[in-house]
Amino acid sequence: MTSLSVALLVPWVAGAVLVPLDGRRRWVAWLAVAALAGTLAALVVLTVRVVASGPQQLVTGGWPAGIGIVLRADALGVTFALVSVVVLIAATANEAILGPRARTFPALLVLLAAGLTGLFLTGDVFNFYVFFEIAMTASYALTAYGGEARQLRAALVFAGVNLLGSFIFLMSVAGLYHVTGALAMADVADRMSAVGANAGLLIAVGFFVAFSVKLGLFPFHYWLPTVYAGSRPAVAAVLSGAVANIGGYGLLRFGAGVFSDQLRLASTALVVLGATSIIYGGVLAASRGDTAEMLAYSAIGQVGYVLVALGVGGAVGLAAAVLYSVVNALNKALLFLAAGLRGRLLAGAFVLGALSVAGVPPALGYIGKLELFRTAVVAGSAALVVLLLAGSALSLVYMFQTYQRNFWRDDGSGKTSSPVANRLVVAALALLVLAVGLWPEPLLALSQHAVEALSGRQG
Amino acid sequence: MILAFALAVAVLFGSGAYLLLQRDLLRVVGGIALISQAAAVTLIAASLTRGQAPIAPDPSRPVSDPVPQALVLTALVIGLATLALLLALVHRVVVVFRTTRREALTAEETERAHALEPEQQRDRDEAT
Repeated sequence: MTSLSVALLVPWVAGAVLVPLDGRRRWVAWLAVAALAGTLAALVVLTVRVVASGPQQLVTGGWPAGIGIVLRADALGVTFALVSVVVLIAATANEAILGPRARTFPALLVLLAAGLTGLFLTGDVFNFYVFFEIAMTASYALTAYGGEARQLRAALVFAGVNLLGSFIFLMSVAGLYHVTGALAMADVADRMSAVGANAGLLIAVGFFVAFSVKLGLFPFHYWLPTVYAGSRPAVAAVLSGAVANIGGYGLLRFGAGVFSDQLRLASTALVVLGATSIIYGGVLAASRGDTAEMLAYSAIGQVGYVLVALGVGGAVGLAAAVLYSVVNALNKALLFLAAGLRGRLLAGAFVLGALSVAGVPPALGYIGKLELFRTAVVAGSAALVVLLLAGSALSLVYMFQTYQRNFWRDDGSGKTSSPVANRLVVAALALLVLAVGLWPEPLLALSQHAVEALSGRQG
Repeated sequence: MILAFALAVAVLFGSGAYLLLQRDLLRVVGGIALISQAAAVTLIAASLTRGQAPIAPDPSRPVSDPVPQALVLTALVIGLATLALLLALVHRVVVVFRTTRREALTAEETERAHALEPEQQRDRDEAT
């Protein structure tokens, strides 16, 4: 209980303290890193408790449950919160070493962490919307970081499209309250079975559109390349490694936790959309010359795997979806950060990230792909296995095209390399990807717990 | 009553979507503002109940549901904040690009398209 409130309060208080400080001073940025590290420590304690003794619940203000807002930490929430905070720490440390160029940058990152941990640890639908808007508002401002024309354009596109997504989400919340008369996720899930099929499907589609926009799935991806390629590497890492988790978490939490009937009904559509996303993202990524754009299209392809796993469903499919969301967040953060720097160690880090995206052992992505293959085999679909193989082959092609362009070609400019500390941050992230790939049991167990938490809520 | 609400939401959302597709950035912001209002009206319409005020109610008579009002207030505040942020962004765009027209922005963008690669290169160089 205490670790739950500490995990939520630390980034809040730290964010409020950091806002008036001048973020261009390095010590302020390091303060932000320390605050995020504190959040991570609280989350680790919380995770240990959740795994040992089940979901932790807290009702704000000491109200009885049903009146107060329920904060609830289960394995699914803490998994996503942990990954997001790790990515945020890496990105903040990266900019802290270079020296942030905007007053508000460290404070915005910490407030983003506050919004993200809040939405991953809430048990209330409307509270989810509030935290979601806090996180999104912080990320709109973050996208403009750098202040160049292309960053402004990226911020404008990002804010415009995602605000539309947010309001669709809000309308779906209104519909959900109308049909169930409840806002606590557990009550909503209980009462969904009594709701008419048409109303339920309509609301479920609203939620699906809202989260797909965040995630950048195929028909809703159009904003993503401009934004990821336009923003600075650290911001792109945050957007793809932390903010995009909202979409994956939302699809799992609402799709599998609340709309399980609708999910079963729409499973074929989801698998087809996911497959389109994989192929589209892969083909376009292979055709891009610019590293950041390649990574952006690769992100569209990678979230397709999550959707395919979600569409197949069942214990195996959901576990694969959780696992692959985590894998993808770490991969993208590593690759965006590695592509923004140059010098020794980085080629190795990039290769690890590339192998992880393609799903080659010993990197973490292998575990993710393995679970996906298990999903496809359980579903008994040869087409899915072929699709996964084709997707992996495509990602191997575009990743190593880019590797060749960036690290084999000597551009002859004789540029000096990035600070050692920066490269060490990226190397640490790469080592994390390698280490979890070599010893995946904790992550596998956590995703198993997450699925149990989801299906427990279903019943 | 439900029909009136539905029509209001439809008109708000439709006008918002129309403005969102315009070329002028201020109209785009106006469109997003209208859509946020459409969401607020949906929230009210989806859950409005008649009854006495829920403060110290008389238990024999029906009480109106206070939750949607709290939700709408929160949503309005959030909508206002995001609107302010968007306007600040558009202001930055006006300062940098000296236009609020999207096609001028795109033209600028095409000019910058070949400048993009060196610019990104410079970002990477800054990191060295």
